[in-house]
Amino acid sequence: MKVIETHNLSKYYGKSRGIVDLNLEVEEGEIFGFIGPNGAGKSTAIRTLLGLIFPTSGKGYVFGKDIVKDSKEIKKHIGFMPSDVNYYEKMDVAELLRYSADFYDVDCDARIRELADTFALDLNRKILDLSQGNKKKVSILQSLIHRPKLLILDEPTSGLDPLMQAKFFDLLRHENQKGTTVFFSSHTLSEVQKMCKRVGIIKEGKIVAVEDIETLRKKQLRKIQIEFMTAAEHMKLECPGILSPQAQGRELSFMYAGNMEDLIAALVNEKVADLLIEEPTLEEIFLHYYDDQNESGKEPQIQ
Amino acid sequence: MISRNIYRWELKRNRSSFFVWCLSIGTLIVVGMAFFPVMIQENIMKQMAAFFETGIMKSLMAAFGATLESLTNVLGFYCTRNSQFIQILGSFFSIMLASKILAQEEREKSAEFLLSKPVTRIEVVSSKLAAYFTYLLMLNGVILVIGFISLELFKGESQYRLSSFLAHSAYSFLLMLTFGAIGLFLSLLIKRGRPTANISIGIIMGAYFFDALSKVTPAADKLGYISPFKFVDSSVMRPDYGLDWWRVLYFVGATLVLIGAAFWIYKKKDILV
Repeated sequence: MKVIETHNLSKYYGKSRGIVDLNLEVEEGEIFGFIGPNGAGKSTAIRTLLGLIFPTSGKGYVFGKDIVKDSKEIKKHIGFMPSDVNYYEKMDVAELLRYSADFYDVDCDARIRELADTFALDLNRKILDLSQGNKKKVSILQSLIHRPKLLILDEPTSGLDPLMQAKFFDLLRHENQKGTTVFFSSHTLSEVQKMCKRVGIIKEGKIVAVEDIETLRKKQLRKIQIEFMTAAEHMKLECPGILSPQAQGRELSFMYAGNMEDLIAALVNEKVADLLIEEPTLEEIFLHYYDDQNESGKEPQIQ
Repeated sequence: MISRNIYRWELKRNRSSFFVWCLSIGTLIVVGMAFFPVMIQENIMKQMAAFFETGIMKSLMAAFGATLESLTNVLGFYCTRNSQFIQILGSFFSIMLASKILAQEEREKSAEFLLSKPVTRIEVVSSKLAAYFTYLLMLNGVILVIGFISLELFKGESQYRLSSFLAHSAYSFLLMLTFGAIGLFLSLLIKRGRPTANISIGIIMGAYFFDALSKVTPAADKLGYISPFKFVDSSVMRPDYGLDWWRVLYFVGATLVLIGAAFWIYKKKDILV
């Protein structure tokens, strides 16, 4: 079953673009990464799914139910962590969690205590006095206490220290194993690659690609750095597959998507001092998607 | 239709401000009424009768809705004072609370939390309105009780009809309710729930001014009808004083229309946090 499904979902704020013809499918039980730079429309997409804002056109379904008409039904089974945590400042943590829990027909007391222990969260403090990191912990708790079927996380790790991040990821994996679907939005791919099997990449309001993390890795893109004996600035390598070369002094670096033999052949007649071939991080692959799309408006030429 | 959870929290978060308003208005009623026996005893009103008849004073008295006759009667005195501050202060309380209940969530961005919970927009508005209504009723209950006690305490020889007192109190309540509906409606027209306290004060003072102007200047009589104050009947000394159906209809009608519009707007509103 598809937990999230959107058909040409669009949202404009007046004339300014939020999301454009978004088509997304998230399967039950998966951890889906939703990646894009700031302002790409990640939060807009999430808010539309949650019924905080209404689509300009298109349709969206969560658990097979319409996101506009059946919003209340849908939200019974969703846990949501916003990117910026804002709560009622006068409440203390326990009060907020109880308030949150009372919206669901589930007894959450034991779960609150258990999770507060895990994250070393003091329930008696006022929301006003909490640091951003501690607010984030409260947000984790309130999104999980009612055991939702779908977790929607909007940049969940910002403000969490590495130890807490690790605990949080463990918890997510654990929940996922028990069947919870996770929709994980982030602007850093490296964070998502630890968790997700598939990622959707959003840019300027549009989905540019939905890929398996593994496929993305296997794109054979190589990061190449060559040091020549002479200045690299006017160096012209006759070789297809060189992407965004950058020359600095005697050094030339680029992403390479072509055949390795071609590259070696092209280098035979050059005076090479040093050669470094690396597997790029997902981050770099990802950035590439953007650069290439920016320049040509087409799919990137990586084989 | 109503989420008890939201209702309870809304009551709780506004509790202390409610008590402050009650205490202030209650104290003002008692202190104000304590002047009545003093004025009667000293015959101040009678001594000043000639002064009140001069041109400017006559207009001023009319603007405040006061007559010599009404000021020498305990209920007349109470209601003249009533229209001076109970109605104005009560309307402030009402408009500020009503314009806050939804807008504050947007301003403080807690709306994102609230609306990601399984509640409909309609439930959010109705639960919060229920809390507002509870407080407005309670405030008017307090005003009614303290007003009644002060009347009894300070009336001396002066007599009044209880039904006139109750009818006038009902007008005050309806007036406050109408301002609350105006506040709620306006707060929803404003993006991201920016504070509307200044606008609220402006609306009430403006409405009060138009009403006063229409009482002084016969030419401006019609103009007064844009002000809810105009629809409060303050002639409590009339023997047949009571609730007029058309006045009640105005208050109830305006309130229902504005609240209906508020539901409609909030149901479709994009919550931008």
